[in-house]
Amino acid sequence: MNAVEVQGVHTQLAGKIVHDGVSLGVPRGKIAALIGGSGSGKSVLLRVIIGLQRPAAGTIHVLGTDVWSARESELNALRRRFGVMFQDGALFSSLTVAQNVATPLREHSHVPAWLLEPLVRQRLALAGLPAEAAARMPSELSGGMRKRAAMARALALEPEVLFLDEPTSGLDPVTARGFDQRLRFLCDELGLTVLLVTHDLDTLRGIVDRVIVLAAGKVIAEGSVDDVQHTDDTWLHTYFHGHGT
Amino acid sequence: MIEPDAQGTSLLLHGRWTLASLWDIDAALRAAHVPAAHLTIDGAGLEAVDTAGALALVQGLALRGADIGRTVNLQAHHAHIIDAVRGQNEAPAGVALPARYWVGRLGFAGAQLARLVRSDLDFAGRCMAAIAELAVHPGRARWKEFAAQLEHICIEALPVVALVAFLIGTVLAYLFGLQAEKYGASIFVVDAVAIGSARELAPILVAVIVAGRSGAAFTAQLGSMRLTEEIDALRTLALSPMQVLVVPRLLALVVSLPLLVFVGDLAAIGGAMAASAPLLDIPPQLFIERVHSQLALQHVAVGLGKAVVFGAAIAVIGCRAGMNVERDARSIGVATTSTVVRCIVAVILLDALFAVWLQSVGL
Repeated sequence: MNAVEVQGVHTQLAGKIVHDGVSLGVPRGKIAALIGGSGSGKSVLLRVIIGLQRPAAGTIHVLGTDVWSARESELNALRRRFGVMFQDGALFSSLTVAQNVATPLREHSHVPAWLLEPLVRQRLALAGLPAEAAARMPSELSGGMRKRAAMARALALEPEVLFLDEPTSGLDPVTARGFDQRLRFLCDELGLTVLLVTHDLDTLRGIVDRVIVLAAGKVIAEGSVDDVQHTDDTWLHTYFHGHGT
Repeated sequence: MIEPDAQGTSLLLHGRWTLASLWDIDAALRAAHVPAAHLTIDGAGLEAVDTAGALALVQGLALRGADIGRTVNLQAHHAHIIDAVRGQNEAPAGVALPARYWVGRLGFAGAQLARLVRSDLDFAGRCMAAIAELAVHPGRARWKEFAAQLEHICIEALPVVALVAFLIGTVLAYLFGLQAEKYGASIFVVDAVAIGSARELAPILVAVIVAGRSGAAFTAQLGSMRLTEEIDALRTLALSPMQVLVVPRLLALVVSLPLLVFVGDLAAIGGAMAASAPLLDIPPQLFIERVHSQLALQHVAVGLGKAVVFGAAIAVIGCRAGMNVERDARSIGVATTSTVVRCIVAVILLDALFAVWLQSVGL
């Protein structure tokens, strides 16, 4: 069964149709990428899937739970099983990086006191953040470190699914590829399912198992990178090959 | 969850070694008498393991002087996770923030206050330079922005200023009236309220209201513009943020505050007049005559003059805090709160200095 299953989603924002019947699935243990032009509704779809934006119609199942018909308590139980990394990190600005990562652990799990600090350090290391960043405030971090700190917070509760909004945007290619390798590692070694929104071709070619292309409110292509880049579509052709047909 | 064998060379794991059961893992580790040795980990009974559980195992063994020598009977994906955790566990310890004791905190706060005052004075100097520049090149004045600020600061504050001053006038008339009546000196209530509000009360009251309304608004507006790099964008477009943002606000506040104080004077006297007729039998006509003969122009002028200085102080503190806000969402809130507090303290401090100085020059 798919970890994420989206069926017939229609979304309207301020009277404008954003999604006109979107269906897609993300198999367990795979990395799936949502691509599409600016304004094609990728980030909105992500918000619909994680339960922040109500769709006008359609159903979304994450790990078998129907996100939009679940009761608040069921939804909160589900939320502990997935992690979200927002585009600019959305770190709590009044807490240090370590406290940001410790927040979900303190709130939602019984961690013995002696284990809390090693656990936070482990999460930071999983996200590829050096230990000296732990005591810093989010405002003192570079963009790349903010993203990794946000990833560490998303990983705090051992999620089964990770949702990432443009994880490599604004990063230099070396940092971005490091981030990709870390995602692949999480997926292969720890069995995470990943759904990410991205514009980064190198991420797609490097680590993504399945590409989902959104355009004009619909999924116009879905499959492996190879399948998708040979789809007969002008936008996709330009996207992958740099010039139109 | 954990069973050492009789020879003390291996550990048999079973159950769920996951984040949700850390508490049980901790209890099992305590109860198990783990031998301090290279141990063979037998994972035959392991149902589930995640990175938190694996970390608890590695760290729990390390605390007891033991470590993992080899593993047997582990399922492949469990072994992956345990290996991954062991591989990255050499990360150095995190850096804790040094704790400050109260002497240190006091010193830190004092140094910070000194820095703030210095940076306010520095900013005031730059404002003066910007205004001087405007005097040389009047074409650079932003009249539209000035007018918009004037509307926000002055016109929109009129109702609240008038209401508050009116009520305070009424309260003062009651307060003084009840005492003065005992000595048959009711008519002096008029002198007290008129002179007191024109000289002291109205300027302070209005300055406090404006500090809360406009000083805070300046910090929040400029702070969020800095956060979104709008101020940097102005600079790169060869526009001076001082001329575009700060000077119009400063001038508008300096012009508005005396106007608002004048309205406050009238409202406070009106409030006292309204209370005097029923309370002290002073009819409005008599009240006005008394105000006319007792309230010298100098008192009103002193109040309005102070308002100009208060206005400049509020604008400088509010704008400075906004322009220097740190680049995160929390610091806008902190800066806005601190603006209101520091504006009010500055206004009252200036007022005290004025009281001493005016006394010495005989005004």
